[in-house]
Amino acid sequence: MRRLARIFIRVWRPHAGKLALGSLFSVLVVFAGTALLGLSGWFITATGIAGLAGAGIAFDVFSPSAAIRFLALGRAGARYGERLLTHDATLAGLAELRGQLLAAMTRAPLRKLASLNGSERLNHLTLDVDALDGLALRLVIPLLSAGLVLGGLLLVVWRIESGAVAAWQGASLVLGFLLSATMMLKIAQRPSRLAHKALQAVRLRFIDLMRGRPELAVAGRLAAQTSAVTDAQHRLQIEQARLDLAERLSGVLLGMASTLAAAGSLYLGVRLAEAKAIDPALAALGFFGALGAGEIMAPLHRGLSELGRILDAARRVDAQMSADQEMPRGSVIVDAHITEEPALRMDGVRYTQPGRTILQDFHLSVRAGETVALTGPSGIGKSTALLLAIGQLQSDAGSVKIHGCDIRTLDDNGLFSLATLLPQRSALMSGSILDALRLARADLGPDEAWDVLKAVSLDGVIAAKGGLDFMLGESGAGLSGGERRRLALARVLLRRPRLLLLDEPTEGLDDQTAHDVLAGIRRYLPEAAILMASHRRPETSFADRVVTLR
Amino acid sequence: MRSKSKSEDPGGDRLKEMEKSAANGLTRAGLLSVVAALIVLPQSLLIGDSLGALVTGTAPFLAPLYAALGYLGLGFLRHGLDAWGGHVAFRSAQAVVASERSSLAVRQGRVSPFSDAASSGAGAALIGDKLDILLVYLTRYHTAAFKTRVLPLAILLATAFISWAAALILLVSGPLIPLFMALIGYAARDASERHLKETGSLNALLLERLNALVDIKVLDGRNTMVRQFFASADALKERTMAVLRVAFLSSTVLELFSALGVAMVAVYVGFSLLGTFNFGTYGAALTLAHGIVLLLLAPEFFAPLRELAAAWHDRAAALAVAGELAEIESRETMSILGEGEQVAALDGPVGISTRGLAFAAGKSATIVYPDIDIRAGETIAITGPSGVGKSTLLALIAGLARPERGRINVCGVDLDDVSADPWRMRLSWVSQVPHFANASLLSNITGSRGQRDEDRLEAAIAAASLRPVVAALPQGILTRLGETGSGLSGGEARRVMLAGAFYAQADIVLADEPTADLDPANAQAVTESLLALARQGKTLIVATHDRQLADRMGREIRLGDAT
Repeated sequence: MRRLARIFIRVWRPHAGKLALGSLFSVLVVFAGTALLGLSGWFITATGIAGLAGAGIAFDVFSPSAAIRFLALGRAGARYGERLLTHDATLAGLAELRGQLLAAMTRAPLRKLASLNGSERLNHLTLDVDALDGLALRLVIPLLSAGLVLGGLLLVVWRIESGAVAAWQGASLVLGFLLSATMMLKIAQRPSRLAHKALQAVRLRFIDLMRGRPELAVAGRLAAQTSAVTDAQHRLQIEQARLDLAERLSGVLLGMASTLAAAGSLYLGVRLAEAKAIDPALAALGFFGALGAGEIMAPLHRGLSELGRILDAARRVDAQMSADQEMPRGSVIVDAHITEEPALRMDGVRYTQPGRTILQDFHLSVRAGETVALTGPSGIGKSTALLLAIGQLQSDAGSVKIHGCDIRTLDDNGLFSLATLLPQRSALMSGSILDALRLARADLGPDEAWDVLKAVSLDGVIAAKGGLDFMLGESGAGLSGGERRRLALARVLLRRPRLLLLDEPTEGLDDQTAHDVLAGIRRYLPEAAILMASHRRPETSFADRVVTLR
Repeated sequence: MRSKSKSEDPGGDRLKEMEKSAANGLTRAGLLSVVAALIVLPQSLLIGDSLGALVTGTAPFLAPLYAALGYLGLGFLRHGLDAWGGHVAFRSAQAVVASERSSLAVRQGRVSPFSDAASSGAGAALIGDKLDILLVYLTRYHTAAFKTRVLPLAILLATAFISWAAALILLVSGPLIPLFMALIGYAARDASERHLKETGSLNALLLERLNALVDIKVLDGRNTMVRQFFASADALKERTMAVLRVAFLSSTVLELFSALGVAMVAVYVGFSLLGTFNFGTYGAALTLAHGIVLLLLAPEFFAPLRELAAAWHDRAAALAVAGELAEIESRETMSILGEGEQVAALDGPVGISTRGLAFAAGKSATIVYPDIDIRAGETIAITGPSGVGKSTLLALIAGLARPERGRINVCGVDLDDVSADPWRMRLSWVSQVPHFANASLLSNITGSRGQRDEDRLEAAIAAASLRPVVAALPQGILTRLGETGSGLSGGEARRVMLAGAFYAQADIVLADEPTADLDPANAQAVTESLLALARQGKTLIVATHDRQLADRMGREIRLGDAT
């Protein structure tokens, strides 16, 4: 529940004004609806009494009937305002939550991010953000306005009809709500969680089925994997049916609570009127007021039935926001002048993963202007060495220094202004070529953009496609694999790092282009120290020095 | 089955078809909820009588306590029936979703991996969350629509029985229910496509960035990225709100009419009771009891309509899902031969021969293969420039793709839908890009072929030189391999596949580019493992452009030269 509050505040605080106004409208809607019913009931009964007494002429019909019309019109108007404002606030708030989520997740170490890449978990995160939209729209606002209007209604019934009727109504409605909410929290939580898990299983097994078709078909397990999907779906439906039953029971509880309130009001009202304690018209007002209260309670059910899903989603989103803190580092301001120290110096570095030593007593130094290729069989630790050099993995022993500056004393900004990395699998996003490049330097002008594209031999391709405004599709669609690789390289060059770490930079390029690109990189950054993880001929032959890991 | 004349609205047709398949349950559910709603009639009579008798001072039909208890009992019955109906609808909807999900899994699972098909991620979204949208539609919207067809008319008749004037008010203010439904329907449809696409693309924006976090981080582009994201998100929000404004307006109009209708009935009843109005009833003047009944019935006239309006986006979402299903079904795809089931293996000595084999690659291109004969124990390299159809030839031999013409004879029988499954029982397949099931390394090697044989497992791991790899994994052989192979390098992953081939002890091993993208040491290890398989007497067919691997094979079939 505390998480829910935290998420709620995070999402909706910037839009508190709109939300408050929307809630006010919501209160007006609920109030008008209840008042309409109560007033109509009273009005009819009162006119009935006046008509019987022959006092029809003296009865003031105009103010009640005007009030009835006003309430009817006001209710519709308020409803429109409420929906518009609260949806506006929610859409804006959730867009911001997505942005904050992105910003928070960039703080995670690279290795973790790389392993998340393309996973189902990310996919699910987006669905969780979606689930949160019910939090304000169907839970908080209806609860708030129901509480306020119900309080007001009970006060009115208390003042003009009878305390007993008000107490009866209040007791049955509050009890019904509490029972219904408890039911959802206690009984529905488990099936809700299990259903979520089963749904995940459906998705993952289906992905296993689709991606593993050749292997599965040859092993004769295609049919078995298909029935594994349907098994998971069977489990899903069992839990969903449980959840549905719990939701309906909680709905019945809410409904019965308002029926109980109305029936009690009827009985108490009639007895009080028979005893001449109140006017019969007031007995009608009490009964119709209770009916109105029932209408206040009804929308709460929708929110309550989403409660489990919202709580679950809030837990996961909140965990993602607060986890993945940056690695502890200092924040030394980097000296502007380049020291005599090598650009990169790794001394006695050891790195172990649980159960597996990857690097042991590793030494390496790269001077400014030097190009070093790191080779060795795959899995030996080339990428690991690059990640260690840029402080995204922490070594168990030894030191890593950039221009004589221990990387543990640098914060992310300082570090990434000195050094940058081209990951093995780099991702592009939809948007123009210029947008893609501006990710590396926000104030990039067109001339500089063409310069860097020329350095990676991509200027011709981009010019042929229509220039810097050429729009890339999702994940860089519109460019070939090799072109995407070169665009990713261009972005890295724009950082103008003193230490450039490249993980298989020319993967997917033919030998001639690979050579041109490497030469272009060197021309663009003559002073930079370049360290490449390589297994291709053009890369190793271009390097000044080759270091083989074994 | 769905080859009816091309309709303008495949999504709508598809949805209708689903509703028809669940018609029994849904109708029962609809009737239950209609009966539940009609309980308002005796309830309002009871209330009218009690309050009317109170004012006139006559004896009520039921004493106050019994009237209250009667009202309570009827109310409980109403809520109970309504919930029951809802649950019945939910269960029928579940049956629809279950059959859609199974048939989607069966159909998609049999699509040949060598025909172009949609991404498995999009398919997973459809089979997972999106199909469940149908549950909401069939339960909520469908029930509301059913009620709308029955209840307003019933309430109108009951009202008209007491007063034609009140009925007229209802008829005027809740005018022409079909008109309203059409209005909402249009707004919904309109908002449907756009709104769904908007939220869809907002999620796509987020997902794309989540997948690019590594790059964003090393480029120090967090601020730029967040700024670009907000710019796109704001634009999306504006467009979404524009759609919502229209949608909300149409339901506001409905709310307004319903509130006004109730208000006018109340005012009419009030004036009649005062004696100002003397029309609208049949002879006798309107009594208070009848007036209260009219007032209680009026909101029920509009209730189903409002319910329907509140569920407008359910229909929009369901239409989008049905459209997606219809689109997948209309796609022309090639299925694999056979079912991919576990059956008794094909008998007879190993032998493969192809005659006049051709494969339609894309719309116009056709790959024509030379006639090939392969005998037991041979090791064959299939080589040739990329795009010449090396992998496809392996797929054709394994029955994973269908030839355009020509035939393949395996172990003395023609390869077809019947013989494909028994034939594949004798094969092992090593993919270029292995996909590991979300399970342990162990079960990825052994599959589920009966009892596990520890000795054979040890031998398979040794033969694929996997020992050091297994020892280095956090939980050894029980380490779970996930979507991305869980930290195995490309060469290691392929060796896991090879270990599977050793373990399975199949007679024929088909390997698709087993050494591509591997460094020399790893390529060497994979080559040796393959040759070890050959030494065990297996027939080996390798599609490769690795010269060194090809030279170690007994025979080379070069594609692309002959034609």
